[in-house]
Amino acid sequence: MNTPSTQQLLQTMQDASGHLTTNDRRNFLRRGVSYVAGAAALGGVSVTSASGLTSNLPPNEPQWGRQLGTGVVENPYGFPSRHEAQVVRRTVPWLTAESISSISMSPIQDLKGIITPNGLVFERYHAGVPDINPDEHRLMIHGLVDNPLIFTMEDLMRFPSVSEIKFIECPANGGMEWRGPQMEALQFTHGMLSCCEWTGVPLKVLLDAAGVQTEGKWILAEGADGAHMSRSIPIEKILDDTLVVYAQNGEMLRPEQGYPLRLLNPGWEGNTSIKWLRRIEVGDQPWHHREETSKYTDLMADGRARRFTFVQECNSVITNPCPENPIRSKGFLEIEGIAWTGRGKIKGVDISFDGGISWRPAQLKGLVLDKALTRFSLHSQWQGEPWLIQSRAYDETGYVQPTLAQLRDQRGVNSIYHKNSIHTWQVGPTGEVKNVQIT
Amino acid sequence: MFRSPKSTFALVLFACLAPGVCYAQGYQIGTAATAVEIAGWDIDIRPDGKGLPAGSGNAVNGEETYETFCASCHGVFGEGEGRWPVLTGGEGTLADDRPVKTVGSYWPYASTLFDYIRRAMPFNAPMSLNDQQVYDTTAYVLYMNDIIEEDFELSQDNLAHVEMPNQGGFYVDNRPDVANPRCMVNCADPDSMMMQSSLAGVTPIGHFVEGADAPAASHSGQDELEASKEAERKAAITGEELVAPVAQEATAMSDQAMAGEATYKAACGVCHTSGLAGAPKVDDADAWSERIQQGTDLLIIHALQGYAGAEGYMPAKGGRADLSDEAVTNAVLFMVESQQ
Repeated sequence: MNTPSTQQLLQTMQDASGHLTTNDRRNFLRRGVSYVAGAAALGGVSVTSASGLTSNLPPNEPQWGRQLGTGVVENPYGFPSRHEAQVVRRTVPWLTAESISSISMSPIQDLKGIITPNGLVFERYHAGVPDINPDEHRLMIHGLVDNPLIFTMEDLMRFPSVSEIKFIECPANGGMEWRGPQMEALQFTHGMLSCCEWTGVPLKVLLDAAGVQTEGKWILAEGADGAHMSRSIPIEKILDDTLVVYAQNGEMLRPEQGYPLRLLNPGWEGNTSIKWLRRIEVGDQPWHHREETSKYTDLMADGRARRFTFVQECNSVITNPCPENPIRSKGFLEIEGIAWTGRGKIKGVDISFDGGISWRPAQLKGLVLDKALTRFSLHSQWQGEPWLIQSRAYDETGYVQPTLAQLRDQRGVNSIYHKNSIHTWQVGPTGEVKNVQIT
Repeated sequence: MFRSPKSTFALVLFACLAPGVCYAQGYQIGTAATAVEIAGWDIDIRPDGKGLPAGSGNAVNGEETYETFCASCHGVFGEGEGRWPVLTGGEGTLADDRPVKTVGSYWPYASTLFDYIRRAMPFNAPMSLNDQQVYDTTAYVLYMNDIIEEDFELSQDNLAHVEMPNQGGFYVDNRPDVANPRCMVNCADPDSMMMQSSLAGVTPIGHFVEGADAPAASHSGQDELEASKEAERKAAITGEELVAPVAQEATAMSDQAMAGEATYKAACGVCHTSGLAGAPKVDDADAWSERIQQGTDLLIIHALQGYAGAEGYMPAKGGRADLSDEAVTNAVLFMVESQQ
């Protein structure tokens, strides 16, 4: 697959950055298998369990097969296995002043399929998670409407419901790396991203009930939390696909996700999907509030800034291998990842092994849905050669995920938001994976 | 827009698709919102001044409000404490390598400042300031940014006319702004490619890389890390010996103290976990032992009535006037008993 010049390039890069591929060989996976042990396994050494015990391995009857387990409703609301305790949301503390107005990332390195379990959906709060009694929660619709209305949760759940699988992404996802790579794990480079099946009512149905007047061009959506988080949304989006949702993945929203009610603007930056939604005002112009002027505007190199940068453009990342999932065995390797676009459906994903010099198409697998995470796959072989592995997604509008150099040329490095460039993992000779940038 | 024939048709069709009942008149769900109900929740302000309440205020009066409720995070001069937002300065830096985005250098409309202070500030007591205080504080922040004079009376009538320096600095999203062709071979020149590796030691990767030189994985851990580095730095200057904190067995708390934990988290922790505004940190036993020696009653009085000391400033009830005396007392006991 590699042309001679590519091999030379890779060799040059290995030589030039030798410390990269060697400085962490001392690293051991907490799961108990070291890279070295993994390599030894290739030579025919039998694999032992992480604990080193063999009493539960063939030919012995495992301990759990010789006794009873726990009964029903031992955990009326169940938990993941205790052996999955490492699959949790994580934060980068120095990003924010404290944890109440902060962000955490989903462990996308550990997730399968396209649905993010409710307990692992990334968190972003501006004033912490409010504890809202749904019986006392109201949604008010007013402004340029004929009939200002108040809905109880019971009212809202009487409307015909719709359920749709959509991703939500913070526009700051990847935003720490405009100037250079600095996050040593996939969870931190791309984890401000989740995808759920959301259930609720199209907002246009509610606005129809209120009767929007002809001058009504924008809405203001506002939360009931201490931040009273607010965003202006153009009415065209609401006519298109905005939902008012009360459930995710089959159960009522988690408090972290806006219980009992949130807005969902599919494909748009996550902060527009106002959580703990209590009020919709219809107006004839946007409000220019703090979260659409001071924050969530994209500062360009010339000192001017883009505002109302709503859409999350086409993006993708390889989740296997990645820093948390190094290659543990030579031979067959399924290269897997996720792609998404706020402009519709993912059309395809290409993979490069040589830092973007040559590309080959991957397969999309499973559901390919509008504004949802889409999984891609490429069956491959790895024999210990160094890779600079990348994914490049393109969507049904024809937009192709750009390179970092292309984005920097247009925007400089101070825009914080909407960095959707092609991402590079460097695979070293022992299978370890590093976050690098190729320009 | 929603009354266009097409839209109405779609709704009727949609409603009738369900078998059984067809609501040609719509769903008839929900109740009318009264003017009083709307007035209570309609807090938003627009650049044209729509939504501003009657009244006015000025920077002279705003100084005290600002120093009481805002300075602990934003700094006495708006310079920002720790990682909290900087409010002043930064003019002319937006095209610099390291731009400083503040109210003065970046925010396009004065209305946004009034709106945000009213809806979300102070951070630990949102919606607690009255309109007069919001006008005064807005005026003070504008004054600190040299946008209005100290004695300018900012009002419902003139706030929309206050021109912000960066009002013209924004334009509507014009993406897509790049077009990357879907090249498959010879897409880049190996000779001109550059590779940059990740900075080590800035990502909390201790969960999968044993022994990694990683920062803390939580905000409290980060605070501890920074505090210990600060203590080391000071000890290196003063020559004093660093005393490692001695782990003590936790003793049972009183019911009052346990009841105070929730208040602590919701109201007090913003300052008392990080040491903001000179607040004694809950995990700083030395700072507390001095104070506890003065008697818990005095600490409770300071917490209820406010206190200004050499190291910092404690507004009455931490700025949370809505809290009962009992809730504040319990929160103090929680912090005191956390030292035992």
